[in-house]
Amino acid sequence: MAHDTEVLVLGGGSTGCGIARDLATRGLEVTLLERGNLTHGTTGRMHGLLHSGGRYAVSDQASARECIEENRVLREIAGHCVEETGGLFVQRPEDPDEYFREKLRGCRECDIPATVLSGAEAREVEPYLTKDVERAISVPDGAVDPFRLCVANAIDAERHGARIETHAEVIDLLREGDDVYGAVVRHETGPGKQSHARPGTTEEITADHVVNATGAWAGQIGSMADLEIAVRPSKGVMTIMNVRQVDTVINRCRPKGDADIVVPHETTAILGTTDDEVDDPDDYPEEGWEVDALIDTLSELVPILKDARTIRSFWGVRPLYEPPGTGTEDPTDITRDFFLLDHAERDGVGGMTSIVGGKFTTYRLMAEKISDHVCEKLGVRSSCTTAEEPLPGSENLETLLAGMDDFGLRSPVARRSAKRLGSRSQAVLETDEPNPVICACEGVTRAEIRDAISQSGTDLNGVRIRTRASMGNCQGGFCCHVMANELAPEYEEPAVRAALDELFQERWKGERHALWGEQLSQAMLNYALHATTMNRDRDPAARSSGSGDETETVESIDYGAFDAGRGRSAGSPAGRATDGGSRANRDSNSNSRRRNGGTNGD
Amino acid sequence: MSDSDADRPTDDHVPGDDEFEPIQVFPEAEEMDLRPGADNCYKCSTCDTNCPVAEVDDEFPGPKFQGPEQWRLKRGEDTDIDPSIEKCSNCMRCDHACPSEVPLSQMHNTARGEYVEEHVDKLSREYVRNRILSNYGTMARIGSKVPRLTNFVMGLSVTKWVNDRVLGITSEREFPEFATETFREWWDERGGGQASRERARKARAASESESEGEDEGEDKRVAYFHGDYANYNTPEVAKAMVRVFEAFGYEVCVPDQRCSGTPMFANGMLDDARRAAKFNVDTFRELVDDGYDVICSCTSCSMALRQEYPELFDFEGTETVAANTYEALEYLRIHEDLDRELADSDVETPDFAYHTPCHARNQGLDGQTLEVVAAIDGVAAHDVGDSCSGISGTYGWKNEHYETSMAIGEEMFQHMDSADAETGLTECPTCAMQMEHGTGYEIRHPLEVLEAALVADSDVQQ
Repeated sequence: MAHDTEVLVLGGGSTGCGIARDLATRGLEVTLLERGNLTHGTTGRMHGLLHSGGRYAVSDQASARECIEENRVLREIAGHCVEETGGLFVQRPEDPDEYFREKLRGCRECDIPATVLSGAEAREVEPYLTKDVERAISVPDGAVDPFRLCVANAIDAERHGARIETHAEVIDLLREGDDVYGAVVRHETGPGKQSHARPGTTEEITADHVVNATGAWAGQIGSMADLEIAVRPSKGVMTIMNVRQVDTVINRCRPKGDADIVVPHETTAILGTTDDEVDDPDDYPEEGWEVDALIDTLSELVPILKDARTIRSFWGVRPLYEPPGTGTEDPTDITRDFFLLDHAERDGVGGMTSIVGGKFTTYRLMAEKISDHVCEKLGVRSSCTTAEEPLPGSENLETLLAGMDDFGLRSPVARRSAKRLGSRSQAVLETDEPNPVICACEGVTRAEIRDAISQSGTDLNGVRIRTRASMGNCQGGFCCHVMANELAPEYEEPAVRAALDELFQERWKGERHALWGEQLSQAMLNYALHATTMNRDRDPAARSSGSGDETETVESIDYGAFDAGRGRSAGSPAGRATDGGSRANRDSNSNSRRRNGGTNGD
Repeated sequence: MSDSDADRPTDDHVPGDDEFEPIQVFPEAEEMDLRPGADNCYKCSTCDTNCPVAEVDDEFPGPKFQGPEQWRLKRGEDTDIDPSIEKCSNCMRCDHACPSEVPLSQMHNTARGEYVEEHVDKLSREYVRNRILSNYGTMARIGSKVPRLTNFVMGLSVTKWVNDRVLGITSEREFPEFATETFREWWDERGGGQASRERARKARAASESESEGEDEGEDKRVAYFHGDYANYNTPEVAKAMVRVFEAFGYEVCVPDQRCSGTPMFANGMLDDARRAAKFNVDTFRELVDDGYDVICSCTSCSMALRQEYPELFDFEGTETVAANTYEALEYLRIHEDLDRELADSDVETPDFAYHTPCHARNQGLDGQTLEVVAAIDGVAAHDVGDSCSGISGTYGWKNEHYETSMAIGEEMFQHMDSADAETGLTECPTCAMQMEHGTGYEIRHPLEVLEAALVADSDVQQ
């Protein structure tokens, strides 16, 4: 029986998208399924560090070497996703000299360019570094936008004939005997681009080979075919600062520990992170003290962070894995290497391969190895070109950007737009129509929003990750509705409203972890704008007067929901954990920052 | 970076703090990282709705973009400031409007400095003109050597034509006339600080003979920052300041000084501004240490010393000078019982149409002049509203901004026209130019009104 597709890739993170691109460019027929939008799982929840390898130069030199190689590759093939910030490993007085020397030696051994700076020289590079910095090692760390990188891989896969389905959750694997031959998928709003008005459908997709690239969720997928994959999901918290306090990646130079990195990311700086094993990648506590501890510890490196504005926090889940029987206790000690699980060899079940572990910087290398493996399984002779072929947006980047005008935009807006769109800038931004700025925080224009809508339909979170619109300091307060407005008239009002609500809700998920000082004021202003000025909280009293507005499809208030309170999973309005957080523990994680932390510029 | 250390990976003697001292203690203003200032912005747009330029010019993106948004979008290496920064008139109303203490004008001044430094050709007509305009004091010093000739030449239509076509200075405006005797010439002629000390003592003695007390006013000392305009163009204002303060028993000293820097900030000439500010801070810091308070008769000058200097520079004593600087009326209202002094006064002057300069408003000084004038019998001052006059120093002198400047001023002109007065009143010399230009009224300074009320005619002759 001929199958629907040659390869079915599960998971639209960096690994899945990388595999889809790799296989599609080798000429294979590929379908990719992602239950949310692209990057929805772990990829969209990382600190955006493009490793130089310096972090692993002492503990894991094999990974370090891979990192520096892939770092160089990504600068070439994904220039529009990468910012060459450089990085520093900073030693404070209490940090061990011995480790500093080991780090330097390790970098040299792994061919990572490393230069020692005195404390004063380091502060010249980054004036906000603490005054008592001893010295620093300068390495070629960078910043990478995981969203843009993932999307670019998916676009290239589609250009080579791949089918990419987002909001398509795998609800079962098709297995007959010792053979996995496909998956049952539930399309949230039917196949194709997201359209909030359409009803959901299910579909069986058969394939010659299934690749399970679902990371921390690989165990759940495996169990659908009665395969045991013992991933050890480990959560880490990250906090986004409103502005860039540093333009260089700042690492703490000490053996290991939480809260040791600040990554300049687009207009913001991201603080990271922690490492705590969790049972369920979809349900774990997100605690206020984790954010507090992160800011407090990193303030030792960059003191201005202590009083700086944070705009949100988020938690990501690492897809850590170690072979059965290794038995490492501390998740920080689990290897960051990746594992290819050939289920035919391992479990005697053919037709499926899982990939677990690994890290973002080496996603392309992982994809290459998986693709080689799949080609071998399918008997396809081909070679990988992903290390040489630039991604869409990064072709002839420097030549194009050098000769590019500002498209009639204010110069900082033009500059940011061109960095995001890369070689697609001309095609997207050159328009005869008026092109106002929609998201003023991030400098995103209507033309860029419309381009993103053409890719992701009514999924405004998909628009968000492509453009950064609504990711600035007002967290969408001033632009969510304007973005939604661009969906009309192509989409009907109910779809537009639903899309707007979903985006606004997603913004709130992260912003609620930053409710003190300036961001609390921002949230209050956003509330006033949306709930009262726009009446988006839909005063039930007004509705019961029976105005008879039939286009408004508001169900009556479910008062029961207010009483269920803690731990009620159905209380999540999105119906799906986009951040894996449960409502439990929210009350207990207290407001210590409100007591001692941010002040409101008074 | 010390590449030499790359060859000694395990050497203990990698450079440490003791081997390297930072050369520059304070960052240059143009290099200041103001991105953290964007933390205070909630995007509420109150600044935009209060911006007089944005109100009349749809092409101007407004202070929210110029300030927090533009700074937040910057990365370390970026130098591209949007050219629209030159449309900002530096009225600083955004500072006053912001409910959240975003350092808007500091962001604008710094961005403008960067823009001029990086993007304006130093040989361009625009740069030359702006340099001339912002260094008005230099030009005025030369011009005032032969004031009648200069006034004649500046009034010639050929001069206006050249200014307009060659330099881009609008020919719509009449160049302000130079006084035949500068304030400083008058001051020296009159006997300088020694004479002032004497007059102050006499004034104190006269008032003490009423109260029969000891001379407790020996420490009543002020240092006068007159600025260029009061020196070269309106010495009558500066003289009024001296006479009024002396009448209250203050010894006035008039130290050497340079331009406050206001026109330099507004034109992005931060190097010029730094030199001027350094000179002024050095001068006045010593006087403050000796017990003098610093008094300005121009509200933009006091704004510069109080707010812009500390925001942009960090010379020794900058904060001290800022903390001890006052506008003239403000100072008298704090330290003297003006109401009582003015209770018996009676002056014969026409009524006034009073405009509050934006920079006065920013210092919380709006309303004070109206209250002072209200205490004087025989004269009334009518408030012409809270709009901006539109000229903002050198802004309205530029060809490309003249129309905008007049459009902003329109509201004030209308209010002046409908006010029951034919004479204007304001603290700011360039607002005065605009008021005169738009209405043809003669414009006075509040200190001149105080002088008429408080200083005996016989003293005004000296």
